[in-house]
Amino acid sequence: MKKIWVIARREFLVTVTRKAYILTVLGMPVLFGGIFALSFLTRGTMEKAFGASEPIAVIDRAGLLDFTLLQKIPKETQKEKDADLFKEPSVRKASSMIPYQDLDQALEEVKAGRLSSVFLIERDYLATGRIVAYSPEKGMFSDLAPPDRGRLFDLIRISLIKDQVDSQTRDRILSPGNLLQKKVTKQGQVQSAGDPLQKAGKFFGPFSMFLLLTISIFLSSGYLLQGIAEEKQNRVIEVILSSVRPTQLLLGKILGLGAAGLLQVVLYVGLLFVPAVTVFALFKVSLTSLLFSLVYYVLGYLLFAGLMAGTGILGNSPQESGQLSALWTLTSMIPMFMLAPISEAPDSWLARGLSYFPLTAPVTMLLRLSTSQVPVIDVMISIVLLVVGIYFSIKGAAKIFRAGSLMYGKRPSIPEIWRWLKEA
Amino acid sequence: MHDPPAIAIHSVRKAFSSLVAVDDVSFAVEPGEIFGLLGPNGAGKTTLLRLIMDIFRPDAGSVEIMGRRPSDEDKNHIGYLPEERGLYTRQRVLPLVEYFARLKGLSERQARVNALGWLEKMEMISVKDRKIQELSKGNQQKIQFIATVVSEPQILILDEPFTGLDPVNARSLITVIRELSATGKTIVLSTHQMSLVESLCRRVFMIHKGKQVLYGDLEQIRREYSDHAVLVRSEADYNLCPWVVKFASDGRGKKIFLKNGAAPRDLLAWLLETGAEVESFERAITPLEDIFIKLVEGKH
Repeated sequence: MKKIWVIARREFLVTVTRKAYILTVLGMPVLFGGIFALSFLTRGTMEKAFGASEPIAVIDRAGLLDFTLLQKIPKETQKEKDADLFKEPSVRKASSMIPYQDLDQALEEVKAGRLSSVFLIERDYLATGRIVAYSPEKGMFSDLAPPDRGRLFDLIRISLIKDQVDSQTRDRILSPGNLLQKKVTKQGQVQSAGDPLQKAGKFFGPFSMFLLLTISIFLSSGYLLQGIAEEKQNRVIEVILSSVRPTQLLLGKILGLGAAGLLQVVLYVGLLFVPAVTVFALFKVSLTSLLFSLVYYVLGYLLFAGLMAGTGILGNSPQESGQLSALWTLTSMIPMFMLAPISEAPDSWLARGLSYFPLTAPVTMLLRLSTSQVPVIDVMISIVLLVVGIYFSIKGAAKIFRAGSLMYGKRPSIPEIWRWLKEA
Repeated sequence: MHDPPAIAIHSVRKAFSSLVAVDDVSFAVEPGEIFGLLGPNGAGKTTLLRLIMDIFRPDAGSVEIMGRRPSDEDKNHIGYLPEERGLYTRQRVLPLVEYFARLKGLSERQARVNALGWLEKMEMISVKDRKIQELSKGNQQKIQFIATVVSEPQILILDEPFTGLDPVNARSLITVIRELSATGKTIVLSTHQMSLVESLCRRVFMIHKGKQVLYGDLEQIRREYSDHAVLVRSEADYNLCPWVVKFASDGRGKKIFLKNGAAPRDLLAWLLETGAEVESFERAITPLEDIFIKLVEGKH
C-alpha cells in the first residue's frame, strides 16, 4: 500500500506541474470562451442563413387569404413552442409576411436579399393544395423548406374557415390545447409531472455528470497512455518493476493520474461551470441522483482506467495505444446512441442489459436514473458487476503489464495476450 | 551452519512463443561474492536477470533468493541496474534518486539522507538540482548506479554498469563495487568487458543460446582452457631444448609449447643451465576474452 501511495503521489505531482497540463487547464476555458464568443458574434449570420430576419412574400393567386387575420396568429405556433426547449430563440423568430402580386418583382427582392423567401399559392390551390416556395441559394441549407411556412398554413386555415366558425373555435383550431401532464406510477398513484425546470434538472444533473465522466475518462486515460508509453520508451518501467509488483505500479498510476484528471475536471467545473451549484439548485437535482452519479462516475473511471492502462502497454507508441484504446471508448458510448429508446423505456430489456454490462453500465445507469426510478435490484446488480469488471480489468492489465511492458518492436498477437492473461 | 546461496537458479527454463531464451540453466551465487555473468548479445543474460528480479516467472525450474522463493520483501533487498538506462529524463536528480529509494521501502527521511550521501560519494552532489536530460551520458550512468545502490540492498545486479563511463569514472566505479563487496554485498556483474570480469570476479557463469557453456572458478576455467605452454622473454635457442614441442613469437616474448609430462620448471632449469638471460617467465594462461570468443565461435 505504501508503494502504491509513493507512485500515486509522484504521478500526481509530476503531471499537475507539467507545462502541458497547466496549458491545457488554462487553454481549454479560453478555447470554450472563444467558441461561445464566436457563436454570439455569428448569430446574425445564422438568422440570415435561416431567413428569419427578412420578411417573406406571399403571392395569393387563389385569392383566398385574408391578411388582416395575421394579427390573430401568435408569433410562435404551439408546435414551435413545444419544440423550442433546445432551440436558439433568435433563429425561431418569425418573419413578417407581405402580400405581393408580381412574382418576378418578388424574386428580384429575394435576389437582392430584401426578402427571405416567396410563397406562391397557385390558382388551383383548393383542388391541388399546391404552393411553390422560392428561397435563395444558401449552401447546404438551400434544400430545407422555408421556416415560416407554419404561419402561412395557419393563415390559410383561418382564412378558409373565417366565415364558418366563431372566434373561440378559430383560436382552438390554431392552438388545439395546453397539455397538463400527469404521471401514473407503478403503484397506481397519479402525480404531477413537475415543472419544466425540474424535468430539465432531472435530466441535466445526471447528464452533466455523464459529461464530466466522459471528460475525465478521456483526460485521465490520455495521461495514463502517455505516462505508460513514456516509461516503456525510456525503459524506466524495468527499473520500477524490479521494486514493485505490476499491480502496485498500475494502481499507483491509476490513482495518481486519476486524481490529476479529476483535478482538471474540478478546475473546469470551477472555471467553465462556475454556477454549477446554482444550476443544480435551480434544476432541483435530487441528492440521490447526484450520489448515484458520483458512484457510477468513480466506478466507471476505475474500470476504464484499468482497461486503458492494459491496452496502453500493448502499443509501440502513444498513437498506436490511442488507436487500440478507442475500442473501449466507443463501446462506452453505445448508450449515447441508444439515448431515445433508453429514455423512453428505462426498464426495458435493452436498458437493463446495458446497465448490467460493465462497459456500458455507468452511462446507461446515469441515463436511467435521470428518467425513472430504477429498481434497487438493478442498481445492486449493476454495481456488483461493475466492481467485478474493475477487479478483472485491473488484474488483467497487471498481467499484460508484467509480460508486455518489456516487449519492444512487435505488437503481441491475440493468442499471445490470451496466454498472458491465463498465466498466474 | 552454511549460509544458503544469495541466489540459486535450479533448472530454469523460459520461452517466449517459440524462442527458448533460457534452457535448463542452474547456478548459484554465494553471499558476498562478485559473480560474473557472461554471454554474447541475445544469449539470454537479460532474461536470466529478469527472472532473478521476479520480473519474469520461469516456465520450469525455480529461482531462490536467500534460500527461499522470491517475495515482495526481497524486491527491497535487490538493486537492479539494467543494461539500458531507465531514468525519467525530465525529472531533477535528487527527487529522482529519492523516489527510487522510496520504492525500495525507505522512509522519506531515510531516502533523502541516503540520496544525498550517495550523490556526495559519487561526486554528483553539484548536479542534484539539474534535470537528468541536462547531464552527460556518463553522469546519467552514475545516477543510474546511485539509484540502484541508494537503498543499500543486500544483492546488486549490475548489467553493463560501465557503459558510457570514461576510464577515470570506470575506475572509481570499480573501487565502489569492491567496497560494496567488502561490506558483504552480493554482486552479479554482467558485462562484455572481460578484463573487468577477470579483475573483479572469482567465479563466472557463461550462457550461450540459452544454455550453460561455462560455470565455476575463473582461475580454474582459465587453466582448463590454457595450452600446456609458457611465455618466455629470452634469447635462448629453443630448438635445442628436449622439453619443447614447438614455439612461436608472442607480443610478450615467445610462447613455448611443452611436451606432455614436461613441467614449466623443467624448461626453467634448462634455461638456467644454458646460461641464457631470462627477462620474464610465466605460465601461458588464456585470457577470458579468448575463451569467450572460442566458445561463442565454436558454438556457431
